Amino acid sequence: MLMASPEGIGVRGLSVAFSGELAVRDASFAVAEGDAFGLVGESGSGKSTILRAIAGLVADWSGEIAIDGKKLGRKREAGFFRNVQMVFQDPYASLHPRHTVDRTLSEPLILHRFDRVEARIEAALEQVGLGPSFRFRYPHQLSGGQRQRVAIARALMLEPKILLLDEPTSALDVSVQAEVLNLLSDLRRERGLTYLLVSHDLPVVAHMCERIAVMQGGEIVEELAVEALRGGTGSTGLTPYTQSLITASRGYATQLEES
Amino acid sequence: MSALLTVEDLWVRFATRTGGTVEAVRGISFDVGRERLGIVGESGSGKSMTGRAILRLVRPPGVVSAKAITFDGTDLTSLGERQMRRIRGQRISMVMQDPKFSLNPVMTVGRQIEEAYRLHTGSSHREAAAKTMEMLDAVQIRDPERVAGLFPHEVSGGMGQRIMIAMMLAPGPELLIADEPTSALDVTVQMSVLNIMDRLVRDRGMGLVFISHDLNLVATFCDRILIMYAGRIVETCSADRLHEAEHPYTRGLLNALPDLETPRLALEALNRDPSWKEAPSVDGFS
Repeated sequence: MLMASPEGIGVRGLSVAFSGELAVRDASFAVAEGDAFGLVGESGSGKSTILRAIAGLVADWSGEIAIDGKKLGRKREAGFFRNVQMVFQDPYASLHPRHTVDRTLSEPLILHRFDRVEARIEAALEQVGLGPSFRFRYPHQLSGGQRQRVAIARALMLEPKILLLDEPTSALDVSVQAEVLNLLSDLRRERGLTYLLVSHDLPVVAHMCERIAVMQGGEIVEELAVEALRGGTGSTGLTPYTQSLITASRGYATQLEES
Repeated sequence: MSALLTVEDLWVRFATRTGGTVEAVRGISFDVGRERLGIVGESGSGKSMTGRAILRLVRPPGVVSAKAITFDGTDLTSLGERQMRRIRGQRISMVMQDPKFSLNPVMTVGRQIEEAYRLHTGSSHREAAAKTMEMLDAVQIRDPERVAGLFPHEVSGGMGQRIMIAMMLAPGPELLIADEPTSALDVTVQMSVLNIMDRLVRDRGMGLVFISHDLNLVATFCDRILIMYAGRIVETCSADRLHEAEHPYTRGLLNALPDLETPRLALEALNRDPSWKEAPSVDGFS
């Protein structure tokens, strides 16, 4: 793929250690502005750790992380969060249980001294498909899918250009997952957002992204365009690990035939 | 095929604080033979409650009622708690989703398997120890002697789930109820756990009730499927024909799944028809 558009996210030689143990080893990839890039792998492969390192939630990292071509330091400044926001896996844990939707959405606006708070909250709720009636509800009065919509609305309040999505639908039922994925696709198209999506679910990543990096044991073992995943496990050039992920995503019997 | 277990008109109800009643399972009937029966549905469909109700594991304020739950000629609803305990674990076993919450954290896994086996069979220490090694070996744990001496926090999720299965299968149950047994596991480990259960059904003639939200997995792993919605069975089919299912709910679930091979701009949203809830439950007899 040609890198015509400017670089949204650039990661070079990123390593992250937890108490001396490397969780991510020498990871490099680039996401062009407006693209969606997926990180897939099993638990412990380091995919979420990369996301957390970019968001500034991990202390001990080395290498280079750049947003819009600007290298990031140890500390994230306020301007960073205007540009980059994160949506977490568990909508039951990522919203403050004693804050109303209104308070959850207004907090980033007040912190960053935005004007027209009222209008922005109403517009954000509208955009994620929740009516104004949801504005003064508490998280426990919402379903899992509605909570994830609130979490997405919160991430969009500061009008960022980049969203870091950490398994945004893996806690949801498939029908609700479809709605949230459709919402994310629409938002990207309308706003020209750049996505970095982490998931263990290969079909979900393939549906959302143009390019994918497969991770195993803290390393990126393969980076490929999503089309390369199609056409069965016979497609050339895939590592055995990527092939096993494709096979597993199809269910059980295929696994037996091929093993 | 003679049925191992026949469930007739099963209801699970919960009284709410406001004086109302929530019906989690609403009058379903089905049977299980020496086969792999899949129960699929979304959260709140009543699939887990169905599995628990068979073994009388629904906690108060939940109330289970049924015309009959017949296992090997005995109506389980007529049994006292003491008699039920002789069935539970010994003749009908259950494996749950997360081994972290099912194993005793302060006892080695070997001792837990031994204890469970001795309780159900009244065998000696020595027999139980030998059986433990045999079962750990059967679930493809490479170094059973070493693993038996480990505590649950020292084993991985996949190994923990295999240990749970070893424990549940040691007394040789005739029926295993597995509630999302592989959902917490990575795909590659998932396959080896399924393989183990598959062999037990084929080699020992065990019946398996496989409860899952994963349509693709159930379609490829099971023989027959019940699709549950709002506490009722909306459709049944043989597993290899799931993709020909007709009920709009089943179709909606299938179409909501992203598919690796056929890229689409948008996924189909499921429009729930209120009439699905009211339609009578379909019989799940084979």
